[in-house]
Amino acid sequence: MTTTAAAHDDLHAGPAPPPRGWRRLLAPGWLRVPWMSALFFGIGLGITLLVRWAEGWHPIWDGQVITTVELTAVPFGILAGIGGFDYWARYAIGSPTRPEDHSGHGAYSWRDYFRVNTDHKVIGVQYLVTTIFFFVAAGLTAMIMRAELARPGMQYVGNQVFNELFSVHAALMIFLFIIPAFAGLGNYVIPLMIGAPDMAFPRLNALSFWLLPIAGLIMLSSFIVPGFGCGWTGYAPLCSTHQELGAVFFNMGVQWAGASSIMTALNFLVTIITMRAPGMTFWRLPLLVWANFTTSLLVVIATPFIAGSQFMSMFDHIMHTNFFNYEAGGYVLGYQHIFWFYSHPAVYIMMLPGFGIASEVISTFARKPIFGYRLMALSLMAILVLGFSVWAHHMFVSGMAPWLRVPMMVTSVVIAVPTGIKVFSWLATLWEGKLNFSTPMLFALGFVSMFVIGGLSGIYLAAVPIDIHVSDTYFVVAHIHYVLFGGSLFTIFAGIYYWFPKMTGRMYNERLGKLHFWLTFIGFNATFFPMHYLGIQGMPRRVSDYAPRFADLNFFISIASFFLGASTLVFLYNMIVSWNRGEPAPANPWRAHTLEWQVSSPPPVFNFDEIPQVVGGPYEYGVPGARHAVFNGDRVTEEEEVHA
Amino acid sequence: MRRGVLVRLVAVGLAVAAVTLAVALFVPWLPTPASKQADRIDFVFWFVTAISIAIFALVVAVILYSVVRFRAAPDDDSDGAPIHGNTTLEIAWTAVPAVLVTVIAVVSAVALAQNEHLPKNHLRVNVTAQQWVWSFTYPKYQGLTISQLRLPLGETVQLKMHALDVIHSFWVPQFGQKQDLVPGITTQLIITPKRLGTYPVVCTELCGEGHALMRSEAIVMKPKAFAAWVVAEQRAVAKASQAPGGGGAGLAAFNSNGCSGCHTFKPAGSNATTGPDLDNLAADAARAGKPLEAFARTSIVDPNAYIEKGYQPNIMPSTFKSLPKQQLDALVQFLTAGQKK
Repeated sequence: MTTTAAAHDDLHAGPAPPPRGWRRLLAPGWLRVPWMSALFFGIGLGITLLVRWAEGWHPIWDGQVITTVELTAVPFGILAGIGGFDYWARYAIGSPTRPEDHSGHGAYSWRDYFRVNTDHKVIGVQYLVTTIFFFVAAGLTAMIMRAELARPGMQYVGNQVFNELFSVHAALMIFLFIIPAFAGLGNYVIPLMIGAPDMAFPRLNALSFWLLPIAGLIMLSSFIVPGFGCGWTGYAPLCSTHQELGAVFFNMGVQWAGASSIMTALNFLVTIITMRAPGMTFWRLPLLVWANFTTSLLVVIATPFIAGSQFMSMFDHIMHTNFFNYEAGGYVLGYQHIFWFYSHPAVYIMMLPGFGIASEVISTFARKPIFGYRLMALSLMAILVLGFSVWAHHMFVSGMAPWLRVPMMVTSVVIAVPTGIKVFSWLATLWEGKLNFSTPMLFALGFVSMFVIGGLSGIYLAAVPIDIHVSDTYFVVAHIHYVLFGGSLFTIFAGIYYWFPKMTGRMYNERLGKLHFWLTFIGFNATFFPMHYLGIQGMPRRVSDYAPRFADLNFFISIASFFLGASTLVFLYNMIVSWNRGEPAPANPWRAHTLEWQVSSPPPVFNFDEIPQVVGGPYEYGVPGARHAVFNGDRVTEEEEVHA
Repeated sequence: MRRGVLVRLVAVGLAVAAVTLAVALFVPWLPTPASKQADRIDFVFWFVTAISIAIFALVVAVILYSVVRFRAAPDDDSDGAPIHGNTTLEIAWTAVPAVLVTVIAVVSAVALAQNEHLPKNHLRVNVTAQQWVWSFTYPKYQGLTISQLRLPLGETVQLKMHALDVIHSFWVPQFGQKQDLVPGITTQLIITPKRLGTYPVVCTELCGEGHALMRSEAIVMKPKAFAAWVVAEQRAVAKASQAPGGGGAGLAAFNSNGCSGCHTFKPAGSNATTGPDLDNLAADAARAGKPLEAFARTSIVDPNAYIEKGYQPNIMPSTFKSLPKQQLDALVQFLTAGQKK
């Protein structure tokens, strides 16, 4: 039970012998990337020119069209180069494959994190490091915005650049940080939690990670092109026909990130449904697994809608189709309906995994079973179903069919009921517990209190008359940051601190962790709470300049936001130093019951030396003699089955 | 739960509620309402706030109480009580919020219906938005077109709104009412002004580079003053049209294309400051070393050709290059004729 990755070498076939000489250019890896990208670039260019020549379109060389095609072709070249498709390509052409050698599995040196790796634990770490990189990048864009907004008038950037800053800020935070950070945590933890050796489709898992850096770099390079200044919502016709080429970089970035999201969700679903250890019934699943199961259903059903909306917008831009071109009979509001049919469920995609993390952390650090476990799981399902019936509450002032507003208001406020159930159940879990305030617990409690504020301001926004007044103002900016920062980000921090010992085999610095929490908690409230006031009073969102009467408060917010930004440095320092030099972590530093803590830190390459036999619920704290699982050799007594 | 615990919990809850209530009451959260619709919005706002304060106080009270009361001693490795749930409690916290949100929805729906009631006697104003200017037309007064919205006190106005290029959104914070203007469809908004004053008109839907500058004003006047203003304005239009050089057509083009939304120009009576002051057009042309008329024409059809000091490129729409030649000529004549000789 305490074996490490290194001790497993005898069971492991090891990587294939490295090729020598020029053959290294043919082996999957970074050496193959440049020429394969060039090859795919050439293929894309050739097809484009050929089609344009054959159709007699002039000019044959059109930079916009070529760039758009290459945003599809070159990423395929990069993915093919690093070896994302090698196994499938060999299989498809009838070449011998090596299905069982696990040559892409596990990490033995830092280099193994920079190649196509099929180990879910390596992929989980790849995800988290990559997403934190984009988190920092997106955070820096916010710092530039707040510098500009510190005083009225224009100081540092022009209007268009400002519009691009907030567009890229939101696009990166949503598509390259919050959604994939949860996918990364889930990737690492879910197979361990359900007693599986890996994900159901390890090669698909590896591919879905490598789509992410590509998506992120495409979105970041929209600054260089330039022209993505139409907000992360990308409303037509501003984004489809009134922006430069940069908007297409957003359209395509969403495609790559969305494809990654869908693949991971499919993988989670199949893994959770088919690979649970013996005895791991659905009613014994940890709530994090329930949360990711629900989230994955949302992703699989909803994400194709945003993919569609971005393709249509891009076709209007590049191919002169008329989906949203009103002059040619297009329907402008159609974009918003399709977009929000994904993007409202996306709010739950960005929140439900956080609910799962909060449940794990609160139960463990309160030393109590989750209060009302089944209702907690069912309320996730209720949010899943209701989440698809509320999209038009983003459109109360859009000019859509007026009758749609009241039904959408009713479904929107009704979502507060299952969400309320979760909050009250967490509170009841705290009651009569033995609370330990380690960093993950601080972030989890910070999440509950901040999320309540975000949820209550959500009620204001669901009530149509109030929404008409505050829609598209700083009130909305405050609301989404209470939900996505106070909600999602706090739980991501809780999750990272909670599983840090498991992932790295080392403990983080508790004192720095607590410092990070308090700086973040204070900086967050000082930055975002005053924004409610600005919005109600009359400051619209997405503006580089504002009325002089809002100057003092904006100055205060900017200072607070720099403080908040600086708090992230404490986090980064703690993570980097602890990863290198932290105290070695025991297998189960938190004395938790779930399965990932029953193996070494970090776990063996295939997670479990023996397949665990699950015999009870995951949170049986305080129940004498109760166990979540036993391993082979331990006999399951009838007494233990009673607690199942 | 013992009675002592409950008493202490309620005490913490009341303390939190008192603090929250103070924040709610002592901060002037809402702008002073200037329309009947804003009054109803404010009522819904305070109704939701009252419920929110109660819920927030409950949650924070339980967290604070737990943090203090259930903190484990440093050497205490024991577990908490193995409580798995309580059906009565779970039914209660499903049912009570369900009732509360239903009440909020009903109150909101009633306020919404009242806010959208349009009396038979109302003033209609057509609102046109384009990057990045507003214009307001009064069909009742022979299509009088201005770049600031003027409204008589107490009379319900129906704004019929459309956009020419991308989506914009009309909002006057003091009126509380907001509505997007969408290319291809006509949207409407109903406002009953109840307080005299000048209020900002704000575009709240991101509409491109000049979004932050797309502002105008809504001026609520006494009905008599409004009637007098209409008469004076119509007379000015008529007078201008008889002036030599087709000033009427020029003034009409100036107003209907939204020029007055951004530029100060005395002959048109406009005093906006987003763009350069057109009363200084002759001086600007001299500085550019161009004949006045050519300078004016170029600056309309190609706004980035000359950028005055202190202003940014790309803010003035480039759409005026498609103005009909007649209108463009009239506009140039109007501008050049209005310069101090």
